[in-house]
Amino acid sequence: MSNSLRRYGIWVVIALVGALCWGILALSRGETVNAGWLLFAALASYAIAFRFYARFIQNRVLGTDDSRATPAERLNNGRDFEPMDRRVLFGHHFAAIAGAGPLVGPVLAAQMGFLPGTIWIIVGVILAGAVQDMTTLFFSMRRDGKSLGQMAREEIGPVGGAAALIAVLSIMVILLAVLALVVVLALAESPWGSFSLAMTIPIAVLMGVYLRFLRPGRVLEVSLIGVGLLFLAIIGGGWISESSPYAGFWTFSPNQIVFAIIAYGFIASVLPVWILLAPRDYLSTFMKIGTIGLLAVGIALTLPAMQMPRTTEFAFNGQGPVFAGALFPFVFITIACGALSGFHSLIASGTTPKLIQKESQVRVIGYGAMLTESFVAVMAMIAACILDPGVYFAMNANPALLGDSVQSASQAVGGFGFSVSPETLNQTAQRVGEDSIIGRTGGAPTLAVGMSQILAGLTGIFGASLQAFWYHFAIMFEALFILTTVDAGTRVGRFMLQDLIGNVYRPFARPSWLPGNLIASALIVAGWGYFLYAGVNDPLGGINQLFPLFGIANQLLAAVALTVGTTILIKMGKLRYAWVTALPLAWDAAVTLTASYQKIFSTDPAIGFFAQRAAAQQSLQAGKLNDVMLALKAESLQDARQILINTTVDGVLSILFAVMIIVVIADASRVWYGLIWGRKEPELSEAPYEESHLDSEGNEIEREPVGAR
Amino acid sequence: MANPVRSIWDYLKEISGENAYDRYLTVHAATHPGKPPMSRGEYYRARQDEKYANPGSRCP
Repeated sequence: MSNSLRRYGIWVVIALVGALCWGILALSRGETVNAGWLLFAALASYAIAFRFYARFIQNRVLGTDDSRATPAERLNNGRDFEPMDRRVLFGHHFAAIAGAGPLVGPVLAAQMGFLPGTIWIIVGVILAGAVQDMTTLFFSMRRDGKSLGQMAREEIGPVGGAAALIAVLSIMVILLAVLALVVVLALAESPWGSFSLAMTIPIAVLMGVYLRFLRPGRVLEVSLIGVGLLFLAIIGGGWISESSPYAGFWTFSPNQIVFAIIAYGFIASVLPVWILLAPRDYLSTFMKIGTIGLLAVGIALTLPAMQMPRTTEFAFNGQGPVFAGALFPFVFITIACGALSGFHSLIASGTTPKLIQKESQVRVIGYGAMLTESFVAVMAMIAACILDPGVYFAMNANPALLGDSVQSASQAVGGFGFSVSPETLNQTAQRVGEDSIIGRTGGAPTLAVGMSQILAGLTGIFGASLQAFWYHFAIMFEALFILTTVDAGTRVGRFMLQDLIGNVYRPFARPSWLPGNLIASALIVAGWGYFLYAGVNDPLGGINQLFPLFGIANQLLAAVALTVGTTILIKMGKLRYAWVTALPLAWDAAVTLTASYQKIFSTDPAIGFFAQRAAAQQSLQAGKLNDVMLALKAESLQDARQILINTTVDGVLSILFAVMIIVVIADASRVWYGLIWGRKEPELSEAPYEESHLDSEGNEIEREPVGAR
Repeated sequence: MANPVRSIWDYLKEISGENAYDRYLTVHAATHPGKPPMSRGEYYRARQDEKYANPGSRCP
């Protein structure tokens, strides 16, 4: 009795604290809610989920077996297969899954108030996202680290496998375009931001040379030097933006930055990795972990109050100025990373499964790292919601709605049902060291303002607020690791494409063949470059148009991963527990297909691509803009022509994504039917059992001599 | 009791891959006795080329 009390007593307390925090979040009648309640509601929920649900999945559903040797132990070659300490592997896995996604999505979803997004981030990660990561990691580990594509082909069939491959390539292109778009929007017209980001290139090259020739392999010391130089670059940016002769030189229009990023992406993909990509990787990983830690400390110590209401009317009427569409399904599309992100299944079936020491560690690495990422998303939500809602909308609404001046922006925000004075907008811009913050869409600038408020509060304790510095620190940190993703993603895409073309024309398959390298790099860069350019120049707002597409593509990949997981569970004879992945799959399919349906068929021109297309076409035929185009704030026939092209491409892609989801699920259903009701014998493609000789700390256990009892 | 600064430093060294070479030396000595191991620079270059020749994906 007292024993079980001791065992579960603490969990009862955690559950009560969590319930109290949730209650206050949802019901308190005060003007504002303190962010602390949100923080503790999240932490209590994660703790309970990790202790009970993840353990249930580990023991009952997957049945991890620590006496079974993992591929890291069996195939240990000191390189890609190697048992790695679970704490270190946790760090690696977390660094690989946590990118800019969890920072951007929640900021955009904040237009519906903080509650819908927060509930989805926390409930979604517990029941869907972390489950997907953990099960994919486990199944890949049982198959010697096979990739998601290979598992889809083997467990479902060639059709499912092909769909998975196309999904991966197309999501890569859209993803890179959207992320690069975020960088462009954050850096345009900002000499401070442009200078400090440009400086990361020589810093990376310096680090690369140092690592290659001066002190090979001394990663830690070179990273510290790099971070130090980065701080100098931010300080230097402040100096540049104040001294007018250089400020003009470093001020770029959005299109100039677009072409700079496209050129950069191509060069980075073609160059050997040691010059640019590898050192940037180290730099951005350290910055990422450090900044996330700093933000957590900042929120916990300053406990800011959230100004954004619980829900806004945009959650229900779908007329939000940041992106159009109602709460269901668009919150669940906009917030992918942090709640459920298909992209993680690529990492969980990539390097991580080859490094796990003990099977039971899939819980802390798969489920635990995803909970941590979800926590990052919660912090991003907090950072966006501590801003004055008027400032939030003045920054994030489609720039066409806001106009060019603080007066017109203030008026437009009034039209959204919030209020902000022109003076407040000027003051906010001044405090963060920018000329203007109006129409700074993309999420990154908003997050940076929120972060700079929190961090300035933190340094304010020591008597210096430094808000402008922190704002550009945050911008630089986001831009740095988005660009690292662009480098790495272009390279990954290039390899996939070379592999694909290699099936037809042999020499292409060799990654080192220069013509193949150049052509494949150019094709990938052209792919995302096109969407980037179209997005920056989209009269309807690039983020508004492209972000839903990115969300749908990401959740499509999640559907593939959860389908593979459900299939394997059924094959393992765990039909009873197949709901663990089947329910999130059903939800994911419902969300993704509803969103696709609305994007394709909605007659509301704010949402439907083809409704927009029809209006643009009519205007072009009539030779003047019709009412729909005018309501969307198109200004000329040139705009209408652009809208016609963009909506055609976006609409066709939406159809492609929707068809692929249906194909994957239909193909898998055929397999499920055969397994459950048919006579099909389940074939498990697991690697055979071998006994482990490692203990839970990775030490060799004395082997018993053969024949001994 | 372990010094916390020391253990954070050790963790960073481990996670950044800085002491991967030391572990390689141990494994190499056990598995290929008599054969000279790669130098630190060679080992590091080989690992890096391998890592990016087969790029794992990462999240947005």
